[in-house]
Amino acid sequence: MSITLDFNGKNFAQGKNSDVHYLPAKIDGDGEANVENCFNNYTREATEFGPGILTNALRGYPLMGEKLKVPEGYRGLVLQETEKPISDTSDRKLRLTGVFQDFTYWNYDKVPSNGDPYRQALLLPDVAQALSQPISEEDLEAEIARNKENAKESP
Amino acid sequence: MGKKETRASKPKADPDAEVSVKMGKKETRASKPKVDPDAEGAAKMSKASALKKVFFMSQELLPKDADDGHLRLELFFHPGHGKEALFITHPDGRMMELVAFAEPRRSWFVDSEVCSNGRIYMTAPVDPTFLALHHLRKHCAQRAMSLDNIAVEEASTSRLLNEILDPGNLKCVTDVKSSGEQKFYKYNQERTLAWLALKTRQVAKILKEKQVHCGHSAQSQNFVRSEKLVAENVSNEMDYTRMACDFVGRYLDADLHGLLTSYLHIPSEIQAIVEEKAAAQKRKSVAGKNEGSDSKKIKLNDSDAAAKLKSSGLVDSDGDPNASITSPTAAPLKERTLTAKEKALAKGAKGTKSIASFFKAK
Repeated sequence: MSITLDFNGKNFAQGKNSDVHYLPAKIDGDGEANVENCFNNYTREATEFGPGILTNALRGYPLMGEKLKVPEGYRGLVLQETEKPISDTSDRKLRLTGVFQDFTYWNYDKVPSNGDPYRQALLLPDVAQALSQPISEEDLEAEIARNKENAKESP
Repeated sequence: MGKKETRASKPKADPDAEVSVKMGKKETRASKPKVDPDAEGAAKMSKASALKKVFFMSQELLPKDADDGHLRLELFFHPGHGKEALFITHPDGRMMELVAFAEPRRSWFVDSEVCSNGRIYMTAPVDPTFLALHHLRKHCAQRAMSLDNIAVEEASTSRLLNEILDPGNLKCVTDVKSSGEQKFYKYNQERTLAWLALKTRQVAKILKEKQVHCGHSAQSQNFVRSEKLVAENVSNEMDYTRMACDFVGRYLDADLHGLLTSYLHIPSEIQAIVEEKAAAQKRKSVAGKNEGSDSKKIKLNDSDAAAKLKSSGLVDSDGDPNASITSPTAAPLKERTLTAKEKALAKGAKGTKSIASFFKAK
């Protein structure tokens, strides 16, 4: 099974910019909603909590958020599967429906900080980058030699 | 301010009456709509025919203007998971791991649509050698094999080994024998462990740079780096190495992870915790014994240093620094309790004749 990301360079360059909100709520449902009128309309800047902090509410629950950029080196994509897979093993296709460079990150009643799991998760690309960095042969030989040396000393 | 009023009069964010919203953490408010606990099932019933997914895609992978190739998500065996996992592959053979950031109770608004799948699918660089390592250990431990002869019956494995893997990198984990055009690879454990150790060091270095907290005490794990906090020197070298090793281990077979741990001489975390607890207990008893004494503070510090030494793995568990602290204080304590008993005895015996008086010569 494989999933094709069904877009090429041209589609990507022409991809429309999406307005994206990352909400601190589980919503059991997908589909159209009047986000512009009923949500974006109520976004306020709350400078008393810090620069760039926004407030809004979702069903009366207070939200605090900020505009965030997609992590460096990354692009935000919104992909959509138009055809339901026939079976688990059949090939699938994801279409590109939008791209974004920044999005609004919302917390429930809490000023966004480094304590948010989202911010902590952003460490992963750096660590993964360090891990995937190739190792030169000289370093490897040196390490093997060093290890042999240690092994001789310890017993 | 009128903010409150705005909230109160704010119409429902979603016109779809069946859409229910569940907020995180604070769940005390009575007005909170009840949600079917089986959220997974509820998500499946959604009306939208097409579910959206939000990706953070590495720019290195994204197609350029003229590119006509398509990225693909493919399943490869992931040794750390022990089963197949999704990886994203570029038409030119590069690959990245697909990881999902899934905080509970998250969802998206994308333009004017609600997206219930609150995950962020993120690409993370991965060295395909890690994935190949599993197959090399399985097939090439005893004899050298050429890559196209390994696991011919598994399509994904042979695609990994022949189309994605850079055979040049295999020198790090195998002995390479060439005969004419053909190259044969035999798994070499010594080289592999040295290679993994170097990888671990690379990871440990970045963890240190990023000031990741990686001590093991529960207390300090509750602290989160704040913007103001300066680097603490509590987390020591071994903690970083252990964390890095665990991270590398996520891409390894369990037994190889074990080998790497012992190669790097990392004491197990449980052992470290036990040692720290023992040190803390000693600290406590030392404090108790010295109650009221002036030397209390100094002694405490001493034992702190000993605990640090211990957890840093520099000192063996049966090392001496603690003994020197406990032994002198233990003796006086014993004496003190004895004197209390003796006092009671002496009190009871008040007024009675000494036994010796009976045997005196008259």
